[in-house]
Amino acid sequence: MENIKAYIESGVLELYVLGDLSTDEKLEVERVLETYPELKTEVEEIEKALQGFAEAEAVEPKEALRSKILDSMNTGAAENDIPVLPITKPNSSFYKYAFAASVALLLLSLFALINLRSQLKDSHNQIAVLQQSNQKFTSRVNYVEKQLDETRQSLNIFHNPEQYKVVNLKGTPNAPTASIMVAFNPAKSEVMIDLASIKMPANDPSHQYQLWALVDGKPVDLGVFNAGNDTTGVLKMKSLAKAQAFAVTLEPKGGSINPTMEQMMAMGAI
Amino acid sequence: MNRKTKISLPEDQLVQAIRQKQRIGSEALYDMYSASLFGVIVRIIQDEELAQDLLQETFVKIWNSFDSYDEKKGRLFTWMVNVARNLSVDKVRSKDFRNNSKNQDIETSVVSIDEQRNTTLNPEVLGVKEMVENLKPEAKAVLDLIYFKGYTHVEAAEELGIPLGTVKTRVRLAIINLRKLFN
Repeated sequence: MENIKAYIESGVLELYVLGDLSTDEKLEVERVLETYPELKTEVEEIEKALQGFAEAEAVEPKEALRSKILDSMNTGAAENDIPVLPITKPNSSFYKYAFAASVALLLLSLFALINLRSQLKDSHNQIAVLQQSNQKFTSRVNYVEKQLDETRQSLNIFHNPEQYKVVNLKGTPNAPTASIMVAFNPAKSEVMIDLASIKMPANDPSHQYQLWALVDGKPVDLGVFNAGNDTTGVLKMKSLAKAQAFAVTLEPKGGSINPTMEQMMAMGAI
Repeated sequence: MNRKTKISLPEDQLVQAIRQKQRIGSEALYDMYSASLFGVIVRIIQDEELAQDLLQETFVKIWNSFDSYDEKKGRLFTWMVNVARNLSVDKVRSKDFRNNSKNQDIETSVVSIDEQRNTTLNPEVLGVKEMVENLKPEAKAVLDLIYFKGYTHVEAAEELGIPLGTVKTRVRLAIINLRKLFN
């Protein structure tokens, strides 16, 4: 109790009530007051005394000041006060949703990308297939055009009988059943074999048939041909303006300079 | 012009009314304490108009920062008078105030205010006031410096040229005398 008495007599409680202490000193006094409740009555006595002192020294302000000051104090909770709304936290939930949306968008984009990629691959495959069939078709058209051209040429022979001389070559004793048709146009120096008319024994790969013309008793080479594989159109042979007869011999592949008379397969005179 | 009735509330009800920002709370607060607070403010400020502004500032601050008042730590008036004193002292020590006012010395200032305002003093405490005047002059001088001039006890010691311990003793003595009068 000695300490409390000394504490009271130090005058620190008076300074505390007068607000004349540093923050630390103030907190220290408050801590002491918590510990020693009997000091609180001392503080209350000091407060009452100073309040009485202030009342005794009071100065009445001007009457007009009252309403002015009261107006500047924000009163009337019912009419004036804006109700305090609980502040929602937009931030955390906003970012949460924004993040989720971003992830969803990313996944969607990835899915679309993969999808597009596979579609592109499919398209490439389709284009390749189309190109292939297009090539096939083109070569088919070329082939058909070539055939058509050959057919036209052979038809030409029959359409112009005055220009073409058609010579039927008959088989020799070497090939009694053989026959072949040769068309000869002396005006254009054209010699053609009608492939459809070839009725010759099939030649082996090391031999070919060779067409000859007899011009004034001498054999003239008109080129080689094969029997058996190609049966449409006409085969244009070497040029010739004059002939009395045609003959076919079997010669080694590529043909010979002079005909091998023993291998004479067919012949016919104009 | 004096209104016949002034609103008065017990302190706990007053505190509650202020917390709820009720009009009755602000009126009672003003009626009960404006004169006491103005007495402190006008003595520190020395200028009637400025003191009125400061009184308004004080009530607005009390009203708006009422959350910082803790009734467990002391009486409402103790908190309010410290708000008033701090605002007034800040004003007095601000540059523009020092440049604009003719400084008077302490002894004459308190007396001059009281001489000017002898008619407006609270009649109920007139007798008490005379008794206050009769307090030991050297003790009251210290209390006046702190209470009505906004000095700290350290500044008061310097002003009066006396040791810090003596200032504290005189403050305590002055308040003990007041306690005899009011409690």
